[in-house]
Amino acid sequence: MSDFSEELARPMTKDDQVKMSVLSGTGMHFPWLQSYVETVVIGGKKKKDFAQTTSACLNFIQEALLKHQWQRAAEYMHSYFQTLEDSDGYKRHAAPEIIWKLGSEILFYHPKSNVETFNTFADRMKNIGVMNYLKISLQHALYLLHHGMLEDANRNLSQAETWRYGEKSSSQEVLINLVQAYKGLLQYYNWSTKKKELSKFDKEDYAYGTATRSMVNRSWKTSVNLGALIKIPGVWDPFVKSYIEMLEFYGDQDAAREVLTNYAYDEKFPSNPNAHIYLYNFLKRKKAPRAKLLSVLKILYRIVPSHKLMLEFHTLLRKSEKEEHHKLALEVVFGVLDFAGCTKNITAWTYLSKYLRQTLMGNHLVWVQEQWNSRKNWWPSFHFSYYWAKRDWKDDTALACEKAFVAGILLGKGCRYFQYISKQDHEVLRKKIKQMKKSVKKYSIVNPGL
Amino acid sequence: MDFPSSLRPTLFTTGPLGLSDVPDLSFMSSWRDLLTLPEYQPQNSENGAPDLAKDLVWEPVTPGPLPLLRPAPDPWDPGLTAQDLLFRGGYRYRKQPRVVLDVTEQLSRFLWDHGEIAFAPLGKLMLENFKLEGARSRSKKKTVISVKTLFKNLGGHQPWGCPWAYITRRQRRFSVLGGPILGKSVANLLAELLREELAAQWERLLLDEACTGGALAWVPGRTPQAGQLVYPGGGTLDTLCFQEVKLTPDGNLEVPGCPGRIHLRGPVRQVATSTVQGEAMLAVRADYHCAVWKVRKPGQQPALLQVLQVEKGATGISLSPHLPGELAVCSRSGAVCLWTPEDGLQQVYRDPDTLVFRDPSPWRWADFTAHPRVLTVGDRTGVKMVDTQGPPGCGLLLFRGGAEASCQKGERILLTQYLGQSSPESLPPTLHLICTQFSLYLVDERLPLVPMLKWNHGLPSPPLLAQLLPPPRPGCPQPLLLAGQGGQLQLLPITGEGPRWWEAWGEMGGAGLASATCPSSGGAASSPRLAGPPQALPCRTDSLSAFPLLEPKSQWQLEERLKAPTIGELRQGSKLGGGAGGLWWESSPPPCRPCRAWSFPSPGLATAIPPSASTPGLVLFQLTAAGDIFYQDLRLQADSSVCRDAGPPGDPGPPGDPRPDCPAPTVSWTPQDTACCSQWLKVLLEVPPDPPVWVAPTFSHRQQLGHVELEKRGGKVPEALREAMAKGQLLLQRDLGPLPTAEPPPAPESVPEDELSERLGEAWEGRGAAWWEQRQGRTSDARKQLKRPKRRTQLSSTFSSLSGRLDVLDATSPPHSPEQTSAKSRPRPPATPPSQDLGADVWAPGIPPERRKTLQDYMAKLPLHTDTPACTATPPIQATPSQQHDFQNHVTKLPLQRDSPGHPATILSQASSIRTTPSQQHTPVPSGAQPQRKKPRMGF
Repeated sequence: MSDFSEELARPMTKDDQVKMSVLSGTGMHFPWLQSYVETVVIGGKKKKDFAQTTSACLNFIQEALLKHQWQRAAEYMHSYFQTLEDSDGYKRHAAPEIIWKLGSEILFYHPKSNVETFNTFADRMKNIGVMNYLKISLQHALYLLHHGMLEDANRNLSQAETWRYGEKSSSQEVLINLVQAYKGLLQYYNWSTKKKELSKFDKEDYAYGTATRSMVNRSWKTSVNLGALIKIPGVWDPFVKSYIEMLEFYGDQDAAREVLTNYAYDEKFPSNPNAHIYLYNFLKRKKAPRAKLLSVLKILYRIVPSHKLMLEFHTLLRKSEKEEHHKLALEVVFGVLDFAGCTKNITAWTYLSKYLRQTLMGNHLVWVQEQWNSRKNWWPSFHFSYYWAKRDWKDDTALACEKAFVAGILLGKGCRYFQYISKQDHEVLRKKIKQMKKSVKKYSIVNPGL
Repeated sequence: MDFPSSLRPTLFTTGPLGLSDVPDLSFMSSWRDLLTLPEYQPQNSENGAPDLAKDLVWEPVTPGPLPLLRPAPDPWDPGLTAQDLLFRGGYRYRKQPRVVLDVTEQLSRFLWDHGEIAFAPLGKLMLENFKLEGARSRSKKKTVISVKTLFKNLGGHQPWGCPWAYITRRQRRFSVLGGPILGKSVANLLAELLREELAAQWERLLLDEACTGGALAWVPGRTPQAGQLVYPGGGTLDTLCFQEVKLTPDGNLEVPGCPGRIHLRGPVRQVATSTVQGEAMLAVRADYHCAVWKVRKPGQQPALLQVLQVEKGATGISLSPHLPGELAVCSRSGAVCLWTPEDGLQQVYRDPDTLVFRDPSPWRWADFTAHPRVLTVGDRTGVKMVDTQGPPGCGLLLFRGGAEASCQKGERILLTQYLGQSSPESLPPTLHLICTQFSLYLVDERLPLVPMLKWNHGLPSPPLLAQLLPPPRPGCPQPLLLAGQGGQLQLLPITGEGPRWWEAWGEMGGAGLASATCPSSGGAASSPRLAGPPQALPCRTDSLSAFPLLEPKSQWQLEERLKAPTIGELRQGSKLGGGAGGLWWESSPPPCRPCRAWSFPSPGLATAIPPSASTPGLVLFQLTAAGDIFYQDLRLQADSSVCRDAGPPGDPGPPGDPRPDCPAPTVSWTPQDTACCSQWLKVLLEVPPDPPVWVAPTFSHRQQLGHVELEKRGGKVPEALREAMAKGQLLLQRDLGPLPTAEPPPAPESVPEDELSERLGEAWEGRGAAWWEQRQGRTSDARKQLKRPKRRTQLSSTFSSLSGRLDVLDATSPPHSPEQTSAKSRPRPPATPPSQDLGADVWAPGIPPERRKTLQDYMAKLPLHTDTPACTATPPIQATPSQQHDFQNHVTKLPLQRDSPGHPATILSQASSIRTTPSQQHTPVPSGAQPQRKKPRMGF
């Protein structure tokens, strides 16, 4: 459980923070410093009883939460409210957020708590520390959403959306954007429901027209809500997804493309693989030319060479006419198999074995050697060890066969993996293994002369 | 390896740590994850028992961990505490306490205990320039003290432990006089060093990074239920122990036989194991060495493959989860190497600077990633992914200590760990755990810089150990164990499964909502999230109640032992029993000493709670810095999968009940547990506690003993002296009995008779000054050359016969008054600093014998080395001898001052102000003619 007061003391200059400036200029903060210091009397004002009881109470609550003793935590929480009357201005200021965090946590897990209790608590808390209004509203809405109370959630968000306090700071602005985006998501949800209903209507029907109109109306509002947030750098996958779906539905392809392109290629955004995936999927749906698709996937390949779309990328590259794409296809499928999570991906192994054969038949031995050179010192023990030969044969004979073929091609028929598999006697696969031996003999890069 | 098709909304800001004005979207509580990623769609709310309701609770079988092995035989010293290091007291009116290192007390302790080290060099210097006569002036009484009286004062009054309890005016004067000289040499050098050392100790107390990663490891045995614990043992943790441990089918622990041992050359800091392709490898990191072993056959002692020396000091070692026998090693120099016993070292990365911003810590860490050729390189400020095959120096930042992860001001990375090895069913093998002192982050290497999960762990000690455990049941969240050095344990259920609601919406796309009702167990990967509230596990101090009540001293010893820091944590898991679905893993806390195998039936839990085949169990091992291994049995709460709203059993309770909703109020110690604890305690208390050896403060009599012994000259005096020195007493005349006749002290050769005429002649020609200079130089050189060999041989005799000689003098001349002494004193160039380049002064034969005696008494206390011109030198200034003591006074006085406005900074500055005004201090004395009025310092 976090020590909230510490977390809140963002610029940690306040009270409980012991000055470390004298020591080593590391600038590192130690949350446990306080406890060390408390064992030594080193001056400073003695804590008042009030402060002592409050901090003890906080500790008890945190302890109870960590032990999942919700009832006990709730009881302590009752006493902890005294912190709202702390004479220390800073603590008083930080108190509402701590109370909200702890209180909401307790009410979320407490077996006897229900939505009404939570609502009451949230509404109170919103107005105790005005600065937290937006945050609490947002969480409250999510809580309601989680409990299936979409209407209430929507109302909550709408209230929060129009809330202003003092000067509009940038953090407030972001929060308001976030609130609006969640509201947009709710509207999207409604829209989605409507769309589903709509699909039941006959297009000639009068009802269809009204429904469509209301949908258009909704989507316009939604786009306003969603559009603002996704321009701010961040990861906004759910918002982007729903926004795109609506734009697509209304045929605003250009806007959708623009949003997705921005989301994927804006440098201020983190390199989110999903942004590229969404763009690719969008282009694919729109039947974009292959070159365009390839360029999107090429970037995704740089970011996540292990993504499952890479196999699609591989097939696309193979279909391309350009020779450099064929070379890249080999690189891509090799790249996928570099990763620990993909070692048992039979599709990738099948692609590799097929493509190896094809490449070698096409007299592109250099390509294979180029790829193999950077892998020859670790692939044998990573993929083609004796251990894996036994394991793979036991777990998945098809996989073992594909791997054995690749091993044979890359390492020669003396390779233990290949030898182990080729010596296996298997009713169904006997023919396949025989063929494999033959191809290996013919194409293995180890002894190209033979 | 599916990438989550939709990530949690996150704001992305770049910037430094603690950037304010940006809303931290991780402001929510642990249920935030549940909210932003609810597992069910509104449509199936009525039919779905939501997954998130699975409030997984690991229920401890005993209220606290129990000792597994008998306590280590070596007594354990908990080391320095904050009390030892911090300045006590301080401004009462200061609002917040301020951490100040207590250099002065430590320094005074040091001077008191190791005077020979502190004062020997100074003594040597002063011997050449010792001069006892003061100036004839009115203020003499204030500037000159009789060393004899001073010794008298000091001699009769040395309250151990509180040397500054009482200070006479004389001593104060002494301190004023001596301050400049003593302060300079000792405080300059020593205090600086001491301060550095204390700062390092304090830093180590705040954060001991040596054991990052953990020193307890698990080597799997032939069966999943058996294995070996590997941990460092021996008093200095320099023995690697292999203790077999078995889990019996009824859930008990068995410890058969003695641990195997391998003695190493240095203390072991980290032990890591990894089983790749059926080969178990064992990597060990000591301060300056790394070694790798291979376990050829389960249950056997491993075979050493290679040892690596790391000159700058190794800070981390990791075993590859992909390739057998491949390791990543990093050193304090900032270098990270890939190490294979066959191919040797390959430097992957080297940068003495930290990654993101400047941080002085040389701590580095390296681990593997999902790509076997890509390593992570971490330091306090960030984590970078480096391709070992790519061009050197480049890489991609995986984590940045900054606004990207909403890091706080002063936040630093303490641990980074690749979580892929466990090949979990639910989490992708691309996750990395990054722990700071405030939070833990899960980062996916496919989406650098944006943490997938952030949790404020709030541990009251540095979390240096973490372990991701396999899911107890298929589909269950994986527990992530986080251990603080102080012994706190937290278990976080982490899951990466299940579509989120918007994901479901997105996926339905045109298909409409109907598709959303498909079961959420579609298995779509989602970003990792907390599946429930984190849980605290019992720590070792919770076991105190299992021990019998003790007398306070033993109780304190026990508590201290239980509180020993946990220095390492490791995870090893395997299924318990065929299909039982049980979990058996261990976390290794701090390294413990090997214990003689002490096989006791594991505390009868089997009878108390027979583990049902369907209840996953967990055994948690902890190793403490004291070398004890504790274990804790945990069971997954049987009905934890029941919808939470139904309420966990025993949860609701009467409000008055202090533990109304404790999940398992029935957990208590069984008689076997307490018996086991008593037995353990008995052995612990049998171990004689390390008696704190207090050594009487001496001025290097030990060193001098050596000198004296070198001198084979028999006789009563050396023997008596030796005896006296051994006892730390003064050698008194009455102890010696009748005086032996000693050769007279080496006196300066007489100057040629015609010196006067020569000088007059020169002076007549106006070269008087030059002649004097020349003469000074010549005589001293000549004398030095003449005397050196003699001195060397005479050195020890100088000591041993000192008192004798003095007594001879004593006998011949009656005590003189100070006036006489000063009258005979030679004029000296006024501004000569008290350093060696002064050259030896002429021995002043006119020093009154009684003063000589005190002088020599004093010098006898100083350690003299062979080249020290012991008795030929005249002290340059009378104040010097007193200065020696003054330093102590000076030091000892400081604490007194603290009461008033004392923080060390002021004290130090006072000390330095004394140091920086030496000329003012000692010019009056040597000149002898124009004593300056000295202003009282330091309040006197």
